[in-house]
Amino acid sequence: MARGFRLSTELVGGVLLGAALGWLLDRWLGSSPWGLIVLVLLGFAGGVLNVMRTAGVMSSGGPKGPN
Amino acid sequence: MGDPIHQFEIKKFFTLGHLGPYEIAFTNSALFMLIAFAIVALLMLVPTRQRALVPGRLQSIAELSYEFIASTIRSSAGNEGMRFFPLVFSLFMFILVVNLLGLLPYAFTVTSHIIVTVALALLVFFTVVIYGFYKHGLRFLRLFVPSGIPIYILPLVTAIEVMSFLSRPISHSVRLFANMLAGHITLKVFAGFVTMLGGAGILGWFGAVLPLGLTVALTALELLVAVLQAYVFAILTCIYLNDALHPGH
Amino acid sequence: MATNAHTEAPGGAHKGPFPPFNAETFASQLVWLAIIFVALYLLAARVALPRVASILESRRDRIAGDLAEAQRLKTESDEALATYEKSLADARSRAQTLANQMREQQNAQAEAARKALEQSLNAKLAEAEKFITVTKAAAMGSVRGIAADTAGAIVARMIGSPPRAAAVEAAVDDVLKG
Repeated sequence: MARGFRLSTELVGGVLLGAALGWLLDRWLGSSPWGLIVLVLLGFAGGVLNVMRTAGVMSSGGPKGPN
Repeated sequence: MGDPIHQFEIKKFFTLGHLGPYEIAFTNSALFMLIAFAIVALLMLVPTRQRALVPGRLQSIAELSYEFIASTIRSSAGNEGMRFFPLVFSLFMFILVVNLLGLLPYAFTVTSHIIVTVALALLVFFTVVIYGFYKHGLRFLRLFVPSGIPIYILPLVTAIEVMSFLSRPISHSVRLFANMLAGHITLKVFAGFVTMLGGAGILGWFGAVLPLGLTVALTALELLVAVLQAYVFAILTCIYLNDALHPGH
Repeated sequence: MATNAHTEAPGGAHKGPFPPFNAETFASQLVWLAIIFVALYLLAARVALPRVASILESRRDRIAGDLAEAQRLKTESDEALATYEKSLADARSRAQTLANQMREQQNAQAEAARKALEQSLNAKLAEAEKFITVTKAAAMGSVRGIAADTAGAIVARMIGSPPRAAAVEAAVDDVLKG
């Protein structure tokens, strides 16, 4: 449970950041809703990247210790 | 027993003053931070005072925590990572003690407030960014440009890398915050069942056994989560610091 | 974070906003966190970690020193043992040679004594044999004489006149040879 939780925050964090940045961008440039769409997608991809990296580190790269 | 949210309430003990429009008060949160500081200080300073060659029990704990964090840093950020040893050590010990303190009955969990975890995550984030630019100058930006990527998808990959980098403080802080918050709410709810059923007569007594057992199991789990989350926060800090030290991958 | 500000506004439903998102408490928490975390950092960086590091360092040195000392003592005792064993072996081989010499000497002496005894015995034996031969020859001579005399006397008694000495002697010789 804790492990899944840990990884899902990576994904959620990416999407949240994309949404926030997209919303701000749209407000400045008046480009609604394209900034939001593009940046949420980018944030999602970044989140997936983070999930993969974190999962890799947690399972192999990290030192011994509780997991 | 009541509201499982009640335990996260900040209680103001007295007001110290105002910083612009903001009121600065001494609260239960500050109290538990102070207690955590005192515990870490006592653990690290008192048993090591004699510098015994053969350590006593408390001195071994101080030495073990030292060596545990040192090995964590070395294995994930290399020997150069040791310049951030005090930072990672302080983060780990602070979060660990604060998490564990929060498990005590009637105690307040400092890390169940997002502002605290965000502040700590941003501290790490800006340490990485500032040290990265200070050490490598603009070459630090190579972190976002992986090598061996065809030029036509490079902008996309770079954008994704930037998002990945920027979203780190969010996941870094939300993870710790959400774990502590969710764990404590669950614990409180189950403990609430126990008292509720226990108050409902003989039948309730039998009914209360199951939630009681669950509460005990959950407490053990929360103990594990408290330690684990401190460890995860520390090791992710090391991994992020590793980017500042070696941006080239 | 920016998003938290929204959750806080409509919180009046029951008793104020969800506490972790209540922005009114943020400033106090941040100030205290800053103070305490900086204090903790300074404590760790300036006092606690250097102290633990020096403890671990001195223990490592001490252990290394003890190991080196133990190694030195072991070499020393090994050397002493080797010297002891060498002298023991020396003594043993010396005793061996001494014993060998002694044995050879004794053997030689015994051999010499035996030879001398044998020689003297042989000499005595030869002398005795010579004596026996002489005696025997003499005795044989006497036996021939006596036999001839006796035979002469017997023949004289039987035929009444003495026989010729030469015939008697020839007859006796015949008998003695036969």
